[in-house]
Amino acid sequence: MIQQLIAIIIIAFFISRVFQQKKKNEIGKNEFTFWLGFWTIAGLAIVFIKTIDKAVMFMGFSGSGINFLFYIAVMMLFYLIFKMRLRIVKLEKQITDVVREVALKK
Amino acid sequence: MKIFCVIPAYNEAKSILKVVAKVKPLVDELIIVDDCSKDETYALAQSTGVIALHHIINRGQGAALGTGNAYALLHDADIIVHFDADDQFDANEIKDVVKPILDGEADIVFGSRFLEKESNMPWAKKNIIMPLARAINKIFFGINLTDPQSGFRAMRKEFAQDLIIENDGMAHCNEILIKAFQSQHRVKEVPITVHYHEFGQKFSGGFKIIKDLIYKQLIK
Repeated sequence: MIQQLIAIIIIAFFISRVFQQKKKNEIGKNEFTFWLGFWTIAGLAIVFIKTIDKAVMFMGFSGSGINFLFYIAVMMLFYLIFKMRLRIVKLEKQITDVVREVALKK
Repeated sequence: MKIFCVIPAYNEAKSILKVVAKVKPLVDELIIVDDCSKDETYALAQSTGVIALHHIINRGQGAALGTGNAYALLHDADIIVHFDADDQFDANEIKDVVKPILDGEADIVFGSRFLEKESNMPWAKKNIIMPLARAINKIFFGINLTDPQSGFRAMRKEFAQDLIIENDGMAHCNEILIKAFQSQHRVKEVPITVHYHEFGQKFSGGFKIIKDLIYKQLIK
C-alpha cells in the first residue's frame, strides 16, 4: 500500500512536469498527449495492480503483475533505443551529406 | 584515360607534403580531402597547388573518400585511385594498381600486402588480426581475397558511379570489398608494399568495423 502510494506520488510529479512543459511550450501537442497518456496508464496500472496480478496469472505467467510491468517497460526501452539509434544513423548520414556538399562547393 | 588520386587526410601534417610530392607526378589530378584536421594538414595541402577539399566537421575516412570520389566523378575521372596520407604506401606502385584497368582486365583493383611483395607488417597484425578479418570476409561475405583491409585501390569510373560509401568510418574498406564482389564488375588483386611507421588499426578497431557493418545490415 505504501509502495503504491509512493509510486502514485512519483507519477503525479511527472504528470505535473508534463503540464509545466506544455505551459512553457517546451513540448508540442502530440508529445504532451503521449506523455500524459503514458503516465496515466502507469498510474492506473499501479492502482489496479491486483487486477493485473490476476490477469498475469490468467495468462499463465509465473511472476507478479509488477514483474510483468517491468518486462513490458524493459521491452519498450529496448525498442525506443533501437528507434533512437535509427534516428541517429539517419542524422549522421544527413550531416555527412551537408559536409560533402559544402566541401564540393568551396 | 584521366587518372585521379583521392587521399583522405586527418591530422597528417607530418607526412602530407611528402605524399603529395610523390603522388602528384604520377596522376592527372590529385585530390586531398582534409577531414577537419586539428593540425595544419589543410593549409599544407592547399600550399601544394593540388585540389584540396575540406570537411567542416570530422566525418571519418569513408566519408572523405566519398567526397573525393564525388569530386573526381564531377570532373570526368576515368580511373580513381584511393591512397593513404600517412606515407606508408609506395607511390610508385600506383601504376601497378592501375595497370589491370588500363589493360582491360579489371574494373576494380585492390592492392594486397600478402602477395609476392614483403611488407614490414607488425606480427600481431600479420598473424592474428588479418587472418581473422580474412576468415570473416570469406565466411560471411564470400570474399576470397588475400588482403581483407587494403586501403590502396583503383576503380574504373563505372564502378565508382555505382558505389555509394555508406560507412563513414573505417568499415568502408570492407564495404567496398563487399560491393565489388556483389557487383558485376571484375575484381583483381595486385601485390603492394606497405612501410609501417606505426601499428595502425588495432584489434578494438576491428570490432568497431564489425559492429558498424552489422548496424548497417540491421537498418537497411
